[in-house]
Amino acid sequence: MNRAVANLFTSPYPTAIQTSLDSYASIARYDPSGRFIVAGRVDGIAIVWDLDTKGPVRTCEGHVKGITSVECVAISSCGLLWSHNSRYVLTSSKDWNVIVWDLASDSEPPRRRSTIRFDVPVVFASFHPKNSKIILVLLSSGEVYIVDQRKEYKGRYELIEALDESDDEGQYNRSRSAPTAARFDPSGKHVFVGTTLGTLLVFNTRTKTMIARHKIAGAGIIRGLEFVASGRRIVTNSSDRVLRQFNLPVYAPPNADGEYIEQELEPTHRFHDPISKVSWHAMSYSPDGEWLAGGAADDAAHKIYIWDLAREGLLASTLDGGRELLTYVHWHPHKPSIASVTNLGNIFIWHCPTDERWGAFAGGFEEVDENVEYEEREDEFDIEDEAEIARRKMLEEEEDVDIESGVEEVNGTADHTRQNGENDEDILWALEEPDDDMKGWELKVIMDEEDGV
Amino acid sequence: MAVTMEVDGGDHKPPLETLEPPPEQNGHDEAHSRSPPPPEVKQGVASTALSPPPPPDSSAQTPAPIPELKHVGPYKPNYKPHLILSGHSRSLSSIKFSPDGTMLASCAADKLIKLWDAETGDIIKTFEGHTEGISDVAWSANGEFLASASDDKTVRLWSLENFAVLKVLHGHTNFVFCVNFSPSSKLLASGGFDESVRVWDVARGKTLKTLPAHSDPVTAVTFNHDGTLIGSCSMDGLIRLWDTESGQCLKTLADDDNPICSHIKFTPNSRFILASTQDSTVRLWNTQTSKCVKTYTGHTNRTYCIFTDFAPGRKHIVSGSEDMKIYLWDLQTREIVQVLEGHRDVVIAVASHPTRRMIASAAMEKDLTIRLWIDQPMEG
Repeated sequence: MNRAVANLFTSPYPTAIQTSLDSYASIARYDPSGRFIVAGRVDGIAIVWDLDTKGPVRTCEGHVKGITSVECVAISSCGLLWSHNSRYVLTSSKDWNVIVWDLASDSEPPRRRSTIRFDVPVVFASFHPKNSKIILVLLSSGEVYIVDQRKEYKGRYELIEALDESDDEGQYNRSRSAPTAARFDPSGKHVFVGTTLGTLLVFNTRTKTMIARHKIAGAGIIRGLEFVASGRRIVTNSSDRVLRQFNLPVYAPPNADGEYIEQELEPTHRFHDPISKVSWHAMSYSPDGEWLAGGAADDAAHKIYIWDLAREGLLASTLDGGRELLTYVHWHPHKPSIASVTNLGNIFIWHCPTDERWGAFAGGFEEVDENVEYEEREDEFDIEDEAEIARRKMLEEEEDVDIESGVEEVNGTADHTRQNGENDEDILWALEEPDDDMKGWELKVIMDEEDGV
Repeated sequence: MAVTMEVDGGDHKPPLETLEPPPEQNGHDEAHSRSPPPPEVKQGVASTALSPPPPPDSSAQTPAPIPELKHVGPYKPNYKPHLILSGHSRSLSSIKFSPDGTMLASCAADKLIKLWDAETGDIIKTFEGHTEGISDVAWSANGEFLASASDDKTVRLWSLENFAVLKVLHGHTNFVFCVNFSPSSKLLASGGFDESVRVWDVARGKTLKTLPAHSDPVTAVTFNHDGTLIGSCSMDGLIRLWDTESGQCLKTLADDDNPICSHIKFTPNSRFILASTQDSTVRLWNTQTSKCVKTYTGHTNRTYCIFTDFAPGRKHIVSGSEDMKIYLWDLQTREIVQVLEGHRDVVIAVASHPTRRMIASAAMEKDLTIRLWIDQPMEG
């Protein structure tokens, strides 16, 4: 809205730190609406920050502290995700639990919708993009589960890599591969799993069968996966300190024989720092998929690399956030804004600063960057009959005004379902027993009691 | 009625020229505050105090929901008196319907906020706490809070759950004159005689930003539909639009001869802003082109900051007037379509019901009533 009023030019990626949220965070992610950030702390507490007020609005205390002194309980890296309309927050922790929090509850801390217990630390968990009752979980023991909380499908389903039995050598190799990263694709139809052997496994979410295995040459252990919003591209982070972007093929629906595609993927781009050979903690696409931000595991500075994908993946900028080292990075769901987490637990919010336009304070004036030769109109200073001016004004005002339409959807994540086809079996399956993550939901304002009246 | 803001602070409207207080005003004020408040009365307009209440089958008592209008040509409203609510002992300053339309909040120079049942006209609750007159009251979009702006230099936040004060917001250095919530109810904007606009964090009760908004008292401040813009207007005659996030001024709308701006309100889509000015004119500005696209005249507004609103159905503009009437214009043709008479003093505030064809109006010192009007479409 404000863009329409002022015609502001802004950079497509952020350039400076706007605020720092003191959060003891180890990980921070925007919600899909971009109104909140949830921060996961090393002590097992998750804090929901409101970006309008830059204040904490909810504290999710549920994960317990560790017993051993060495490994404190942490909300595992990448283990925080929002359901599509931001009502539920999922936290996974090294205390073996996954908790789903319901922010629509009025209480503080928020009500738990469910707690899912495992017998090993949880490395990662995420909601199905279409239904928060389907949850993907990656355990530190190397097992990947889909936990379905819907009545009809209730259960835990392990995703198991299909092995080619005729190839003995292959089987020997692959039996040692363990999942290290897992993600739903943005449609939720597939689960992508990265492994220790540098392979990318694709599973069908509904049937839980493997439909493709992609070998990524030279990657080593896959450490992370991120999708562009359209789901057509994926970027991988791997132990060889290179981020690779791939165009994904279109996967056929799974067939009854359990066949799968065996295919090597060739990256469209490789992103790395050829000089410092830095490895990467995290990466995140811009909302339009034109830019990629990479959080460097630099041991001296807080650095975010921004690559321009429209221009052959050229390095566009390096954001320097000072001495606190970077641990996580996440791009705002629809603005040129980035949240990055430091090793001291601060969350930096990066934005595009706009200079104060002093001309805005004077009505009817326009700022110009350089001198402009003003050309006077022929009749500019002619004395006109006031009645004539009034009459013309009246005529101009005859035009109808539209005071109601054009109110854009506040929540950017409108119905994906429609676009992706109503008839798709996998989507329909996911939409069965929908969650109650309703649109237009607002977080209740809970008054801070301490410094009240 | 020529009194200063010092003495008669809650009195919404600073006089244009004379700020010379009559010396006896202070004593009068004192007497007022000590005397018990007059009994709160509610009466049907058609009936005198003694006559029985009007029959329930009277269509006047059952406001119809806003129907889809299929008239040929512009629809002419036909508002009729419905209820008269009295209870305040000093000049009223602002009235607002709750977001769900069940309640009406009013505030006045008598330092009180009253909550009325919009259906029956009964008083639900009276909020006491401010130490000076109150100039404005606002509902949060979720209907859970009320905010009030007072000459005691504070904004108070009230809970509608337990009818208690939640926060007293200190920060303004002079009378607070106007207040509004953001659509998310998380932020609050207030403006006042210290010529600044303050943006508050509702949950923490702290100032987030202070905008160096104007060079004269700020008379209205409001958020647009998605909360990304703040609009403010002032006695300096300027309307300014601000970016909520950065607090930067985005543009200034100004007329050639800078009449004092009484009130502003964004259209539902925020493309326009409705501004009433003390040259007895209401204008509709295009916020993108900075041009005035409609002018509405016929009422009188030279002294007070009178509220203007879009009438229910959003096809008309409604405004109070200093000639004790309420004016309704057609949004598009700019013609006066109805004039409501009945108040016995300046109609300082009007408010449109969010879902039904109902208008509320409030008048100043010599009247002290709130009137509810209901549209009864003419047959044929």
